[in-house]
Amino acid sequence: MTDVTSRANPRTRGTAGKAAGGAGAADKARSPYLRSSIIVGGAIVVFFVLLAVFAGPLSAITGNDPYAEHPEALGAASVPTGFGGGISASHWFGVTPLRGVDLFSIVAYGTRISLGIGLFSSVISLVIGVTLGLIAGYFPGLADALISRTMDVFFGFPFLIFAIALSVVVPQSFPRPLLLTLVLGFFGWPGIARLVRGQTLTLSKRNFAVASRVMGASPAHVLWHQILPNLLPLLIVNVTLSIPGRIGAEAGLSFLGVGMNPPTPSWGRSISDAVQWALVDPMYLLFPGGALFLLTFGFNLLGDGLSDAIDPRKGVRA
Amino acid sequence: MKILAYIGKRVASSLLVILLITLALFLIFFLLPTNPAQLSCGKPCTPEQLSRVAAFMGTDQPWYVQMGNYIAGIFVGRTFGTGGGAVVCNAPCLGYSFRLGEPVSQLIADRFPVTASIAVGAAVLWLVIGVATGVWAALKRDTIVDRTLLGLSVVGVSAPSYLIGLLMVIAFALVIQIFPSGGYVNFTDDPVDWFYHLILPWLVLAILSAAGYTRITRTQMIGELSQDYIRTARSKGVPESVIVFKHALRNAMLPVMTMFGLDLGGLLGGAVLTEKVFSMQGLGALLLDSVSNLDLQVLVGATLFAAVLVIIANLIVDICYSLLDPRVTLGRS
Amino acid sequence: MIKKHALRVAVAGVCAAVLALSGCGASNNTANGSDGQSAGVKGGTLNILLSSTEMDLDPAKSQGLPITSNGNIFRRLTAWKVTKGGETKVVPDLATTTGEPSDDGKTWTYTLKDGIKFDDGTPITSKDIKYGLERSFADSLTGGLSYHKTLLEGAQDYHGPFDGQELDSIETPDDKTIIFHLNAPFGDWPWVASLAAFTPVPVGKGPASGYGKTPVASGPYKVESNEAGKQAVYVRNKYWDKKTDPVRTAGPDKIVFKMSQDTSVAAQSIMQGTGEGKNSFLSGFVPPAQLAQAQANPNYKKLLVTSGDGALEYLAINTKRVTDLKVRQAIEYAVDKKAYQTTAGGEIAGNFATTLITPGIAGREKYDLYKASSSGDVDKAKALLKEAGQTSLKLKLIATSDQAEKASSIQTSLKRAGITVDIQTLNDDVFSDAETNNEGDYDLVIGGWQPDFPSPYANISPLFDSSQIGNGNYNLARYANADVDALIKKATETIDQDEAGKIWAETDKKIMADAPVVPLIYSKNTFIHGSNVTNFVIGDFPAYPDYNQVTLASAN
Repeated sequence: MTDVTSRANPRTRGTAGKAAGGAGAADKARSPYLRSSIIVGGAIVVFFVLLAVFAGPLSAITGNDPYAEHPEALGAASVPTGFGGGISASHWFGVTPLRGVDLFSIVAYGTRISLGIGLFSSVISLVIGVTLGLIAGYFPGLADALISRTMDVFFGFPFLIFAIALSVVVPQSFPRPLLLTLVLGFFGWPGIARLVRGQTLTLSKRNFAVASRVMGASPAHVLWHQILPNLLPLLIVNVTLSIPGRIGAEAGLSFLGVGMNPPTPSWGRSISDAVQWALVDPMYLLFPGGALFLLTFGFNLLGDGLSDAIDPRKGVRA
Repeated sequence: MKILAYIGKRVASSLLVILLITLALFLIFFLLPTNPAQLSCGKPCTPEQLSRVAAFMGTDQPWYVQMGNYIAGIFVGRTFGTGGGAVVCNAPCLGYSFRLGEPVSQLIADRFPVTASIAVGAAVLWLVIGVATGVWAALKRDTIVDRTLLGLSVVGVSAPSYLIGLLMVIAFALVIQIFPSGGYVNFTDDPVDWFYHLILPWLVLAILSAAGYTRITRTQMIGELSQDYIRTARSKGVPESVIVFKHALRNAMLPVMTMFGLDLGGLLGGAVLTEKVFSMQGLGALLLDSVSNLDLQVLVGATLFAAVLVIIANLIVDICYSLLDPRVTLGRS
Repeated sequence: MIKKHALRVAVAGVCAAVLALSGCGASNNTANGSDGQSAGVKGGTLNILLSSTEMDLDPAKSQGLPITSNGNIFRRLTAWKVTKGGETKVVPDLATTTGEPSDDGKTWTYTLKDGIKFDDGTPITSKDIKYGLERSFADSLTGGLSYHKTLLEGAQDYHGPFDGQELDSIETPDDKTIIFHLNAPFGDWPWVASLAAFTPVPVGKGPASGYGKTPVASGPYKVESNEAGKQAVYVRNKYWDKKTDPVRTAGPDKIVFKMSQDTSVAAQSIMQGTGEGKNSFLSGFVPPAQLAQAQANPNYKKLLVTSGDGALEYLAINTKRVTDLKVRQAIEYAVDKKAYQTTAGGEIAGNFATTLITPGIAGREKYDLYKASSSGDVDKAKALLKEAGQTSLKLKLIATSDQAEKASSIQTSLKRAGITVDIQTLNDDVFSDAETNNEGDYDLVIGGWQPDFPSPYANISPLFDSSQIGNGNYNLARYANADVDALIKKATETIDQDEAGKIWAETDKKIMADAPVVPLIYSKNTFIHGSNVTNFVIGDFPAYPDYNQVTLASAN
């Protein structure tokens, strides 16, 4: 996550796409760069999915979990002993200073949080965004006006600030992963809705939609069977490209101390803990930081490639 | 005239948005299981003292009364307490921080230059870098240059700014000590030092944010360069530089400027992460502080300020868009 | 040290951050800096690096220690004489004595010295001290240390001097004399008279808001500028007369407080000594990483100064919910203090605690009611639980996110005795509410307490008097014992300090017999200063450096 809103907040992801309309005719087939980006990006994403799913068994190979302390791996002043922050056969990524928790376990379990929040919040945004977008696009007038104004409210809302405030307010007994999923999901829909609304406006004027309507098809039928399928590729790309923003947002909030609570492993929190150790134990910062970068990188590559695959004219989307 | 009606409509709906945001913030903080008066009670704290403080701050009132007082304060100002010991907050009163002993509008006025310095400097940089590399990539489409720039841009949009910022601080301020590790110096106190302190934050924000601009500019340029009018111009023998910069780039810039306006508007309301990494006391830091100290009035005031900036940026972008692009009709939401 | 949050952290009270930050590892002995006793010079600019973002210097709102950031600009009736490795004493400052008690300690009289002036040259009178105190009662100026507010007669209904009312229990028969009438005898009044509220404020010149930016000074320095988020600059006050001041050495020509510093980065720059680093010190504790780094390098190690045994860190057991004494005693034996110390940063984070009154405070008697190895006595704990008929005890421990590691350590050690601990992590401000509100929805909580002045009163009373339960107060064990309340009252009202000390020691043991808290460690604080900074003195109390004495080795 950066401070720049177009990426700090997944909701504006779609906006840039909208702005990027009006490209000219295709003059070249999809580029080899973009094909390879699907393969590389996809491989990275699959790798992390596997890491998340098998975090338990993988950590268990060396008999570790992200909670147990290993004071024996620490030297004087509670700093890990040995090469690279205590990297060894039993601690693949070394251990954390002060308590000696296995860093590989933290990174592996942290993947679950990052990926889980990224994916599930996308689903929430998708459901809300598609539903409202279809309605707004298909029923001009009151419904459209209401939904469009609501989108304005969300676009004007300082998301980061709101998320920070909310984390203080919601009782701690409410699970943090669920809270972050809901917050990111609930604030991520307007971008999707805007995209869907625009496409629906166009598609519903096309011959096939007009024809079904004339033949007496219900709006639900038209929307579900004729408009939505046409939107699918675009939505897949949009969601893929929005996931890095969501993962970054979770990590950023945890970095600011208002996301995941300890002892739940989280990359962002590990990064913020590791910063002051950077000169003493750089590996502590490197592993979670590297994982966060690599996963967002993977999703961005994949999104680029997919975007090109469905619409080679545009090539890379901004 | 149509444009005026449009602006009027947008301003009206913006006011509604602001009201809703205020409502949401008050509701949220009313739900907080804490007593803001407790922080100002002193040590040791007696129950009598606690209720005295709450009454003075007005936090003993129901939330809707507190919200009403707050909104009224924006127009007519507020007075806390009575007589010679009263604290006055003049209109437009965006609230009063008892913790800091200052009106929120004063706090915002103090902090805004910091955030604005970060935001404007970085924005100019990332726009220049992003557009230049985007045009270059588009002109060298599918060459090694294009692929390298594209690859770098994916890296750029994937790297979290705070992580890169922290690494830069470690590298340039601690290991090789050529830049200050953070802090802010007033431009009016020492322009050179001001610039010196801002170099790292500008670079971090600009380089990473430029990636998005590289991508959108490249896409737009490729689109424009394949348009018929460009071909016509080329066939007429118009010089390539004129085609690229005068015609294609000009049209390609419209969506780029849209994105730019929104990004800049959002950033001016508080560069939370950048300010945190570089220990700068801008609006973002003020907001984070107000959350951790339960300083509701600061939180609401600063959030409203940020929301207004975003809304204004949206408004400007939409109006410019509709004025410049004949294809777009007013009323686009 | 001025920001309220920082205050809770750095100076006073139960606070998570104290615990989190104090966890360190440094050298063993008190004040091991190489340069402790060198003379230092007059002149130069000293930098003090703070993480807080603003300095509200209004004395009415201050919870600061008299020897830190406001010690150099404000004088009070009495002051603290801090000596390296010695007991901290209360000495006369603006007054000629530390106070003359009469009426069995209900009335205290002070006479002001000659030649004391504000920074504009006007003489300081007893009326200015009275006005300063009266200001602290204004509704807009709350939040400071308020020991005097509960002690002064008739203060309950007093709302400050801004509408012309005066507080009658403070008498100023002439410009040199000030008399305080208390509602009960109070032997520690000389200490109370050293706190910030006793700073003189020129009558009529301290408005109800905005005074904290550049207040009128009475000490060796005055505030030249104070800009939130950036810095506050102290320069010499030419009207201050060294002859009248027994504690302030006023070495540097200028003291600059640099605000909103990242502590890790600041510690780093002090170690490397680049730029202003060598003329600076960090007001907060050295973060664990920089501590580890400094200890590994002899050049850096000599810049560290570790305090002696300081704030008591303890595990409070909510006696309202864990009512069975046997269970509480079992917890006393079950806790692994050794593991706790390791998590806190090792031996140097602090020594094992057994008493409630901390070392360095007059009257303390050492004892251990629950003798066991430093890792506890699990068998004894199990036996006690069995006696109590507890087989599957479940307890809820609340903690801030900063305390997470220490909380985990407690969880692990109680597990050994078969006690399950559920940790509930809370956001800082929600936490401070949860531990001090009237509900007390927890079984266990980790606390830390640095008294506001070095007296057993400030050590015991806020934590164990039944009047200090809830309402934002710090009796975290929610411990109520009428006998103990009576002993506290008796000790408080005893004017003879030796006699009072004996009663306090008795109170200490009596409380521990009820096992409302498990004393864990007396935490030590480690500070770091630049190579050109000298006279960086930490006395037996408090575990913070005395800013009034810090000087530079050579003028920069």
